[in-house]
Amino acid sequence: MSNRSAKIYFDPYLFFSLFALSALGLFFLYSASNADTSIVLKQSVYVFLGFAIMLSVSQADPDVFRRTSLVFIIFSVLLLGITFLIGPEINGAQRWVRLGPFSFQSSELLKLALPIFLANFLFDKRLPIQSREIVISLAVIFIAFILVARQPDLGTGLIVGLSGLFVLFLSGLSWSFMGGAFIALIICSPLIWNFLLQPFQQQRIATLFNPESDPFGAGWNIIQSKIAIGSGGIFGKGFGEGSQTQLNFLPETKTDFIFSVIGEEFGFFGVVILLSIYFFVLMRCLYLALNARDRFCRLVIGGLTLTFAANLIINLCMVVGLLPVVGMPLPFISRGGSSLISLFFAFGIITSMGTHKKFLPQ
Amino acid sequence: MIFEERQIEKNNFSSRAIFLFALVGVSFLAVLFQVFSLQVSSYTSYELAALNNKNYAIPIQPLRGEILDRKGHPIVRNEPTFDLITQPDLITQPELFLELIKPVIYLSEVEEVQYLKKFKEKAFVNKELVLKKNLSPEEIARFNVRSFNFTNAFIGKRHRRISDYPQVFAHVLGYTSRSNNQYDLSMEIPRSHWVDAELTYANGLIQGKTGLEETYNQHLSGTHGTRVYEINSRGRLVKTLEYYPPEKGLDLHTHLDIKAQISAANALGDRKGAVVAIDLKSGGINVLYSAPTYSVNKLSNGMSVDEFQDLIKDPNKPFFNRALQGRYPPASTIKPAIGMFGLTNQLINWREEIDDPGFFTLPENGRIYRGWKKGGHNNVNLKKALMVSSNTYFFKLAYQSDMKDLASYFSSLGFGSSVCRDCYEEDSVFVPSPEWKYKNFNVPWFTGDTVNIGVGQGYLVATPMQLANYISILANKGNLPAPALVKVENQSLDGNKSQEISLSKQDWVKMHDALTAVIESDFGTARSIRNLKDFQVAGKSGTAELVSLDSKEAYLEVRDKELLRDHSIIIAFGPMPNPQYAVSVVIENGESGGAVAGPVAIEVLKSLLNE
Repeated sequence: MSNRSAKIYFDPYLFFSLFALSALGLFFLYSASNADTSIVLKQSVYVFLGFAIMLSVSQADPDVFRRTSLVFIIFSVLLLGITFLIGPEINGAQRWVRLGPFSFQSSELLKLALPIFLANFLFDKRLPIQSREIVISLAVIFIAFILVARQPDLGTGLIVGLSGLFVLFLSGLSWSFMGGAFIALIICSPLIWNFLLQPFQQQRIATLFNPESDPFGAGWNIIQSKIAIGSGGIFGKGFGEGSQTQLNFLPETKTDFIFSVIGEEFGFFGVVILLSIYFFVLMRCLYLALNARDRFCRLVIGGLTLTFAANLIINLCMVVGLLPVVGMPLPFISRGGSSLISLFFAFGIITSMGTHKKFLPQ
Repeated sequence: MIFEERQIEKNNFSSRAIFLFALVGVSFLAVLFQVFSLQVSSYTSYELAALNNKNYAIPIQPLRGEILDRKGHPIVRNEPTFDLITQPDLITQPELFLELIKPVIYLSEVEEVQYLKKFKEKAFVNKELVLKKNLSPEEIARFNVRSFNFTNAFIGKRHRRISDYPQVFAHVLGYTSRSNNQYDLSMEIPRSHWVDAELTYANGLIQGKTGLEETYNQHLSGTHGTRVYEINSRGRLVKTLEYYPPEKGLDLHTHLDIKAQISAANALGDRKGAVVAIDLKSGGINVLYSAPTYSVNKLSNGMSVDEFQDLIKDPNKPFFNRALQGRYPPASTIKPAIGMFGLTNQLINWREEIDDPGFFTLPENGRIYRGWKKGGHNNVNLKKALMVSSNTYFFKLAYQSDMKDLASYFSSLGFGSSVCRDCYEEDSVFVPSPEWKYKNFNVPWFTGDTVNIGVGQGYLVATPMQLANYISILANKGNLPAPALVKVENQSLDGNKSQEISLSKQDWVKMHDALTAVIESDFGTARSIRNLKDFQVAGKSGTAELVSLDSKEAYLEVRDKELLRDHSIIIAFGPMPNPQYAVSVVIENGESGGAVAGPVAIEVLKSLLNE
């Protein structure tokens, strides 16, 4: 037992690749913020805090998360409710909750709480899972999605929804059910377009297909992002030398469009290196999931990792012009405390679930 | 769960996880492919797009060339003026700035309001803003002493287009004014950037609108320079990336003679009319003057609306260039041409005499065409007919002529076409002919019409420019380089065509002799001017009748109304026997040709000859 208490739960592959991502993130942020050191310093504090949180969280036994999953999701929903009632309105959306000196984007918690809750709900169910479980899971997912999407934050809402659906799928949802749901989605898409999407969201989707139709309005972001990336060429314009970035033609350089900054200043070469690190992280997580000690851990690692992947891919596809513009930061690179802390929290959980082994086989 | 079930579950999970991660991998590839196509396949076009975003090229206005007279004295030049220019970006409180600068330079209420109105926008994009135009020397001195207090302002040099002879040369020079047409000159600078052009003229981007300024606009304009700024997404100028200086326009060397032009203007005084003088050797136009006139400086550099309206509404039409566009009956000045036509077609010779009873009777219907002198001139041959200006002789000669041949003879003397190669909006007028008359009036040509043309009346009209061209051809004995304002070496216009008229050598000598007698003999109609000079002059005067009068009473009545009085005309060349210059003068409502227009022609010839 003394042996066990001395052990530090730590995955070197994940740890060092995340360290590399965060360090690169600070480096890129310096250029993206036009050499604003105060922004970089503030962000590095978050990075430091994030690592501390990841390390602490990964020491906890997976069972702790399983047992507290209900409390966790209720707490997350309550926080979301509080935000909805008293949160400050920024750009027409209420997303933030203020905790002393920190502002926290309350939907971030739900991205973690929902997959853990569903994993706990589904891990001991017999295969194939029954309609009752499916209906309950879908209801929970739908409620979580609506809560976030109504803020309105469709991007995060979709991620929250996806995080639940990933767990549901991984736990053995039947293929025929999914096929049916997919067809239903296609049929319902006009309804979603007309009743669920706000006009500005419809506009963003429309401009994806023809950004030049409104070059100074909704198409501006996509056009400027493509120009930034394209003009970077193979080796980029150099650190701090990207005209699109430094002269503010590129919007949201510190947050959503920081990938375009990397593309402009470091070129295809830089992009390949960055994507390789991300890909390595994902593969390492897949390995941990496949070798986790039980079904609960597998489901949680899988759900959280895929949520992270979805987040990443949506951001990448958005800035290169493959998806409409939705508010979605580039994980570990974009400026912002909430998303970074919640990411480290998630990887803390992943490390915990991937490194804790059962001593007594059942 | 039993062991087998767990194994099934695990396999089930693994396949599903691998499936989803494969989708993730595919998405990665899609992103990578898209990035590759942006950065590698379409690199050139995106690089260009990025450059177009950040590079903001503006034109730098060049200085226009000067316009010089034939001796190289400037007729139009660029006069420096000084503006107070500020950099709003460096001024935090514009109101305070204005309070500080007011003791240094005088500012009107309007100037202050205008400045504050534009201030914010200019500060935002880091562009300069003119606070006050055309500073006085005192203001410049006061500012220079205190300039260390105003690091956000400086005195900028601009120019004005100024002529030292703004009235005398108004029509021939023409004026410049702000113009948008320059935009088209340059493809590399987008149209919208021209509003930010770096100005060299206080008036902005100027262009010749009339006269030489217009005809030779390209020659005078020069080439604009370029300054390429780096701008940010808000259009704020960040720094200069490239600078190409402008090239000054070329000077324009003209044949005009400042002294002669001034003497023409002085001799004409405040009468309406026009003077054109031509250098016989080169065809160069030395004088081109139209009265009344206006100040080209005022028109180019800002004239009040009231002043402009007054000029527009003036019944004397000061903007009308009489020298190039005034249509006047040539009257008796056409007689030498008719005589030459008669000689060429062997209708007459120098010896043959006819009886001049003071009128000509048209054989067909007995209609009477009167001469200017009651009782006539008795027996007249061609020389005497020219000298005493016998109408009867030329009525008869015209009567014998075929109008079609006569019309083509007029055309070869430059009537009915624009004779000057580089004049602005010269009226080509027309040559009357049977076809012309039928087309315009739907009436056939009568013999009487030809008879009238014999004395330069009826349908025949010409501009002072055409009259000068015609007399120059005569003076040069048949050939003349096409008249032009600008010297050949910098004429960008095509064709140095010369005009030719053939007549035997003897005939030319006799013609010059006869035309000299018009002025220099005791019986010449223009003898009143023979004592005004110390060289001999040949020429022909004319009195263009505006109203055809049959009775003496009617004539006396008309004399009282100035606007109905006859125009007086003279065409002359000298010094004889080797003429160098020819001149035409038309004075509207001046009456008797020789006595009124004659002295003006003499003044111009004198001025040209004692260079």
